[in-house]
Amino acid sequence: MKTQIIDHLFRHHSGKMVSVLTRIFGFSNLEIIEDAVQDTFIKASIKWRTQLPDNPEAWLTQAAKNRVLDIFRRIQTEKKHAPEIKNGIETIAINELFLDSEIEDAQLRMIFTACHPKLNPKDRIAFALKTISGFSTKEIASALLTKETTIRKRIVRARKTIHNLNIEFKIPQGNELPLRIENVLEVLYLIFNEGFHSNKKEILVRKELCGEAIRLCKSLLKNKHTNISASYALFALMCFHAARLDAKITTENEVLDLKTQDRNLWSYPLIQLGNAMMNKAVENNEFSSYHYEAAIIAEHIKAPNFEQTNWHKILEWYQCLYKLQPLPSHLLSMAVVCLQSKNHLKANYYFEQINPNDLEQRSYLFYGAKANYFLAINNKTEALNNINIALEKVTNSLEKKFLEKKKLEMISSSL
Amino acid sequence: MKNFMMIFIGKEYTDLGLSQEEIQARMEKWFAWGNKMEQAEILRGGEALTPQIRRISGQNRTATDLTSADVKEIIGGFYLIEAKDFDTVQEIAQDFPDYDLGNTVEIREIMVFDH
Repeated sequence: MKTQIIDHLFRHHSGKMVSVLTRIFGFSNLEIIEDAVQDTFIKASIKWRTQLPDNPEAWLTQAAKNRVLDIFRRIQTEKKHAPEIKNGIETIAINELFLDSEIEDAQLRMIFTACHPKLNPKDRIAFALKTISGFSTKEIASALLTKETTIRKRIVRARKTIHNLNIEFKIPQGNELPLRIENVLEVLYLIFNEGFHSNKKEILVRKELCGEAIRLCKSLLKNKHTNISASYALFALMCFHAARLDAKITTENEVLDLKTQDRNLWSYPLIQLGNAMMNKAVENNEFSSYHYEAAIIAEHIKAPNFEQTNWHKILEWYQCLYKLQPLPSHLLSMAVVCLQSKNHLKANYYFEQINPNDLEQRSYLFYGAKANYFLAINNKTEALNNINIALEKVTNSLEKKFLEKKKLEMISSSL
Repeated sequence: MKNFMMIFIGKEYTDLGLSQEEIQARMEKWFAWGNKMEQAEILRGGEALTPQIRRISGQNRTATDLTSADVKEIIGGFYLIEAKDFDTVQEIAQDFPDYDLGNTVEIREIMVFDH
């Protein structure tokens, strides 16, 4: 059996096992739990090289269950706090936790804990990827383009925060729930965007990140308390984005914009799934930012080619989005949309409302767009100025290549 | 096939003063027994009960709170299994790990009101 498939299986299952075992032993024993699960995986991968069990997921669940006693013993040796067992019959209750429905429940508890608002936002992502998604610190570091030591620090800090603040391992209820779901969706979308936008990574890493975010979002949809319309909208949005992932990057790992993408490469099944989820998302009238973002991508997907894009409709959706979420990046998008529909005056109106510094490391996008604006109004000098600033600001090598190509085109066309 | 309940009655480990090692060794047997029934696909469910008791009795509906230490023996929980007859269940109950502690398994058939 290919190691890659084992890795994949393990990744998807380890978070569940860690979650169930955390329900039994509590957060204070998380390290011991993770070690035990890791150890189970190593044993499985050796065993499975010769023969794969009929039901690998069930095999892993059983293996995790078999570790319960080992963990009890280790907790005792390390003199940590273990649950008190009054009677052997309690194993029946422990067994129950390994039922499929209870595993889902445990995983959701872990998701809510990892995305708890009291955790530092950066720690949330690292902790979630490690604890729920079974990524190694090395993998997280390369996925987030951060040093491994930094990731390790973030994970330790997250654990400490959970422990010190006594954050409960449960799915929040009542008034608290909607806001907490919002926190979860935010983290999932960040994880997704790490995969979708950062071009420095190999396509495999990117797909893993996007896939994880989608998978975790799906677990929200399976629970009747967490499958609110915003969850459906985010799921749809991620499907629509993911459908274009293969078309976005050439075999040479070059980025293609919407204009140059081969729309035949877009994944039809993902688009269909996104549409189905979008229908669920609009069953009531509570629209989230994810609804509008999904609506915008849906407009792009509807267009048979770039030229026939309904820019007017897209601008409308952006206006709704900006009302809900007044971010400078949305202003920039609106400016770009106006440029596409040749409404230069309005494009400038939006540009003037943006302070490029607010866009932080994405400010190069502002200057790149401005270059296009000046090109469109035939001001080649300013266009060239702006593309030069964009090149100064950009850090991502692929994006840089893209801008350089554009600059070259500008220079050669003006000759 | 019929459904039976195996009810576990006796003393709690902590009330008997068992050591951690002993408790773990017994848990191992409980897990093994559960797995065996699961693999034989006869297990239909089961619950463990906490050792708190509120007993209500008498005309006056007098309520008394008790714990496992206050009573001679306590129902700790049950398994529901599918089996042909009492003899088959008795066979299965051979693996109950706590006979040596003086604990008991009571086998009862689930009634089906079907005429």
